[in-house]
Amino acid sequence: MSACAKEPGHSAVSSYTKRAWIILWKDLLIERRAKENANALLFFCLLLLFLFQFALGPDRERLAAAVPGLLWLGFILAGLLGLGRSFLGERENDCWEGLRLTPGDKSAIYLGKLAGNCVLMTAVEIILVVLFGVFYSVDLWTPAAPLALVLGLGTIGLAAVGTLFAAMTTQVRARELLFPVLLLPVQVPVLLATVSATQALLLGQPLADVAHWLKLLAGADLVYVTIGLLTFEFVLEG
Amino acid sequence: MPANWGYVFAAYGIAAVALLTYWRRLARRARALAARRAAKPRAA
Amino acid sequence: MTRALGWLTVLGLVAGLVAGFGYAPREAVQGNVQRIMYLHVPAVLTAYLAFGLVLAGSIGYLATRRPGWDRLAGAAGEIGVLFTGLTIVSGSIWGKPTWGTWWTWDARLTSTAVLFCVYVGYLLLRSLIEDPDARARYAAVVGILGAVNIPIVHFSVKWWRALHQPSTILGPERSPIDPAIGLALFVNWVAFTLLFAYFLARRMEIARLEEQT
Repeated sequence: MSACAKEPGHSAVSSYTKRAWIILWKDLLIERRAKENANALLFFCLLLLFLFQFALGPDRERLAAAVPGLLWLGFILAGLLGLGRSFLGERENDCWEGLRLTPGDKSAIYLGKLAGNCVLMTAVEIILVVLFGVFYSVDLWTPAAPLALVLGLGTIGLAAVGTLFAAMTTQVRARELLFPVLLLPVQVPVLLATVSATQALLLGQPLADVAHWLKLLAGADLVYVTIGLLTFEFVLEG
Repeated sequence: MPANWGYVFAAYGIAAVALLTYWRRLARRARALAARRAAKPRAA
Repeated sequence: MTRALGWLTVLGLVAGLVAGFGYAPREAVQGNVQRIMYLHVPAVLTAYLAFGLVLAGSIGYLATRRPGWDRLAGAAGEIGVLFTGLTIVSGSIWGKPTWGTWWTWDARLTSTAVLFCVYVGYLLLRSLIEDPDARARYAAVVGILGAVNIPIVHFSVKWWRALHQPSTILGPERSPIDPAIGLALFVNWVAFTLLFAYFLARRMEIARLEEQT
């Protein structure tokens, strides 16, 4: 009797996480087999390296000073490409209806997609950090741990809104233009916070000095993910 | 301290032009809609 | 009804001009340029009102699916962008003789510029979707996110930069304003709110008629 009374609540939560996990697993599997996104983004990071170097000129110090901004510029550019395509697979292969008809809480799909995007963006970031460290001769290893925290919080913020808007713009004309136009203004606080915090950390300041930025990022992430979870079902209709 | 009336009039002038233009746009759209509704026969 | 509002608006705007140019004194430090504030401050306050209504309309539509809420959101968004643009332009013109430059990346101007970009994107999204239900739903999501993001933007920009003079209207630390200037500001703010209400009424009516034809 008591086992049955517990069962509905328990299975609802586990079925929710299971559905989110299935989405994540499917995307990772597709990516591992096809490797289209990962390879292209990897190469894109390499290209960015050249782009920034050529744009800022040979002055080593000027480049080093700009690294925090360039790092995040790189993430955002990669994010615009990678995140915008979050739902392209579903749309091109006529799976959109399948998503729509999924039983239960649609926000599980959002969570799964968000997790997948975070994995993707994290991979991109690690690559960019390594490339920057090597090619621009910037010490990114010493502040690695606090830097990872800043990157992590920033990634969640970028991916949370990016996943939501990607779902929306997949169905809209001129999606390649609309996606950045919608995403970038909303991401301004994330950009400001992460660049400021990264800059402080690279200058050797302790984590405590950037605590206010971390709190802002954490708060923003919470807001963005919550809104994503709450409104995703409205995006998925029709 | 210079009078700087030029700047003041520039700001108010631009505001006036913008607001008037928007108002006229609204008026024009309303008129076009009213004309279209009058032209269409009453839907059964 | 809207006509009456229209005439009331004209009255208010005239009163505002009189208050701003005739009644209010020339400010000691900034000179006559300060009179631009009678345009700039009401414009930004009205813009915030507009975007608050976008939020309300967005939530209202998602909750009830009644098209009236979406009409409110769309109209308020359009007019809000107009007033935000006016805020930025008037602020920039005020800044030139005051700070010597047409633009600075200080906290308030930057926040307002970001606000402008968010809602221009909102209008762009609306213009690209024909299906009224999809348009309303997607716009609502962006409308909600944009509005909730405003305080986040505000704090992030403020911490990033601290050039702009401390806000004498909306800030917690209030430096004393000459009551005559305060009154002129108030009159102009009322006038702008009336203007906004008038524009909103007409714009929503147009949207309603467009859906019917």
